[in-house]
Amino acid sequence: MTSSPQSGQRAVGKLADPIGADAPLDREALEEIFDDIRTHPRYDSELNGCLNCGICTATCPSAHYYDYSPREIVQLLWTENVEGIYDAMQEKIWACAQCYTCAARCPFGNSPGGLVMVMREVAIKHGMESAKEVLRPFSRVMLKVMTTGNQLAPNMITPEHFPDWGPNISKVEAPLNILRKAIPMPTLHTQETAWAVNLKTSIELYTIWEESGVLDQLETMDENLFDVIVDIMDEKREDYADWLEEQDDDDDDD
Amino acid sequence: MSDNGERFTGHGEEWRDARLSAQDARTATSWVEAKIDKRALLTNKDRVEDVRDAMWQLEKDGEIIVHRVGDQHEPVMAKTLYGWDKKIPTNQLWHHKSCGQCGNIPGYPASLLWLMNQTETRYLDETDQTSCTAWNYHGSGIGNIVSLAAVFLRNFHQAYVSAQAEGLDPGYYYPLVHCGTSFGNYKEVRHFLMHSAELREQVRKILAKLDRLIDGKLLIPEEIVHYSEWLHVMRGRIADKQQIDASNIRVTIHPACHVYKMVPEDVIYDDDVLDGNRVAVSTGIMQEMGTQVIDYSTWYDCCGFGFRHIISEREFTRSFAIDRKIKVAVEEARADVMVGHDTGCITTLDKNQWIGKAVGKDYALPVLADCQVAALLCGAHPYKIVQMHWHASPFEDLLEKLGIDWQRAKAEFEGYLEEVAQGKIETLYEPRRAITSGEGYRP
Repeated sequence: MTSSPQSGQRAVGKLADPIGADAPLDREALEEIFDDIRTHPRYDSELNGCLNCGICTATCPSAHYYDYSPREIVQLLWTENVEGIYDAMQEKIWACAQCYTCAARCPFGNSPGGLVMVMREVAIKHGMESAKEVLRPFSRVMLKVMTTGNQLAPNMITPEHFPDWGPNISKVEAPLNILRKAIPMPTLHTQETAWAVNLKTSIELYTIWEESGVLDQLETMDENLFDVIVDIMDEKREDYADWLEEQDDDDDDD
Repeated sequence: MSDNGERFTGHGEEWRDARLSAQDARTATSWVEAKIDKRALLTNKDRVEDVRDAMWQLEKDGEIIVHRVGDQHEPVMAKTLYGWDKKIPTNQLWHHKSCGQCGNIPGYPASLLWLMNQTETRYLDETDQTSCTAWNYHGSGIGNIVSLAAVFLRNFHQAYVSAQAEGLDPGYYYPLVHCGTSFGNYKEVRHFLMHSAELREQVRKILAKLDRLIDGKLLIPEEIVHYSEWLHVMRGRIADKQQIDASNIRVTIHPACHVYKMVPEDVIYDDDVLDGNRVAVSTGIMQEMGTQVIDYSTWYDCCGFGFRHIISEREFTRSFAIDRKIKVAVEEARADVMVGHDTGCITTLDKNQWIGKAVGKDYALPVLADCQVAALLCGAHPYKIVQMHWHASPFEDLLEKLGIDWQRAKAEFEGYLEEVAQGKIETLYEPRRAITSGEGYRP
């Protein structure tokens, strides 16, 4: 993974010595990031202490394949090592597979996986380049879930997008629309969404994105994607308003 | 071992090698493995609370309303990790669908609904439901506890009021969650909601805007129930419908992390299923239907899905899936099939095998959901209902071992596709029931 430095931030790859003098950002900026982590509503329930026993790392799938250790994440937070925390947010936190095996096994009741989620949220809040880089391939899923209420659609699963899944998405050859109509659940006769989603439903979800600050997160991370989503949803809201108006007219006629 | 013969053990100076023979070492290890209570690995905690206590208190204080599992839902009691009771509704169920299942492996929910038809279970599958959005959250970090909580309570509110579209009382249907990640995420979010007045207030404001409050209050479900729990408590009734003998089938179970490691205290353990040492769902029904459930050394491992990794770090996903799960199931357990109970796991373990051929790892192990296997054994059509054709790994040998003529079934399905093209579509329920409001709704 590579990343270009933002103003005031050093390049990824030149990781600082957490106890050395070569600070990656000024102390104030590092503490601001840590403050956002420490005051996150999940933080207190995810971190209760740490004896460095390493049960979490011993059972961690990502630790098999990456330079990643949930024990290290917990220790950095527990000792409030703001430089080490910042370093871990550049790359390591994105290695976590979010299985929560660490949380299930920790004798202290910590959730290293939950702490990683807090750090990912804060990395996004601060618009870290590393987060933008990591999330670029995720934009197709993001567009789908933000505008439809479904995270995955049948027409997203193609051999072009998943060449390592083999040549056949279906072992019976037929057009996708026919195969989908041959599923005996009427809600699944769709290609653009995993199931047919009521227009009102997707607008309700969009309202949740707006009101909970998720759209702001997205704007920080990918302004173009944000603009596309806003355009699509403005149109959907207009469609819904038109439909409601038609209903009122029909009621008046009655 | 270093050049001078010194061994570095990491245990300090006082450490002494036991100098066991290879045979003695194996015997000692086996003894330890036999003695370890695997359930104890999850229960060695100081702080464990039943979040439902806080929930009842909040209702008493007039802050929330609890959507109860009532007699009308014909509940069956199950025991969870610490021996607490969990009420599993068995009738009048609202299907909280999974985007990954419906988009990718649609025979998974179709088999579940088919089993409900066989057991005369009333249900509603409708269009007024969103994804839980937790896949996106765990993969990307976009989302937050407020959005996750608002989505959770929006969907469960819809489950509560949905029956009004059919002229029935609110609360008639009880939500049944299909996806393991939705299940784990909703339970995690419920915990935060019960303990944070600030979060409740933030969510209340959003749901008020959506007109999704009951008497101005948040509606909280008494139990959050996964479909595999329904299958578990229904296993006897389902086994009564069994048509195909499966006693020659060796099954390995892959339990889903977000089902049993996330909020582990709410997960069903049954003394009759592997002595209560392992999560009971899936294993229970496979045993009930007479298959041979085979243990294996990486049972506890995740599948490698990783949320973000399945999209953009697939080398991790497929390496983990093949080396830690599929290879072990085939070589150690000599399994005929791997059975799971979650969207991401079934997808990961099934779809990522094909690429293994490139490095000589051609294991070809069928991977199915527990309800798909149960439906097959009860006589469901392998293609029309179980929709096997969406599975990437070879399943034909498994069907032959079960005595199912898959070639004939496939030909029947291809014939059915011609009828579908002419608009002759068979469905598990009356299609107009799927629309409960808005365009296309007919009271």
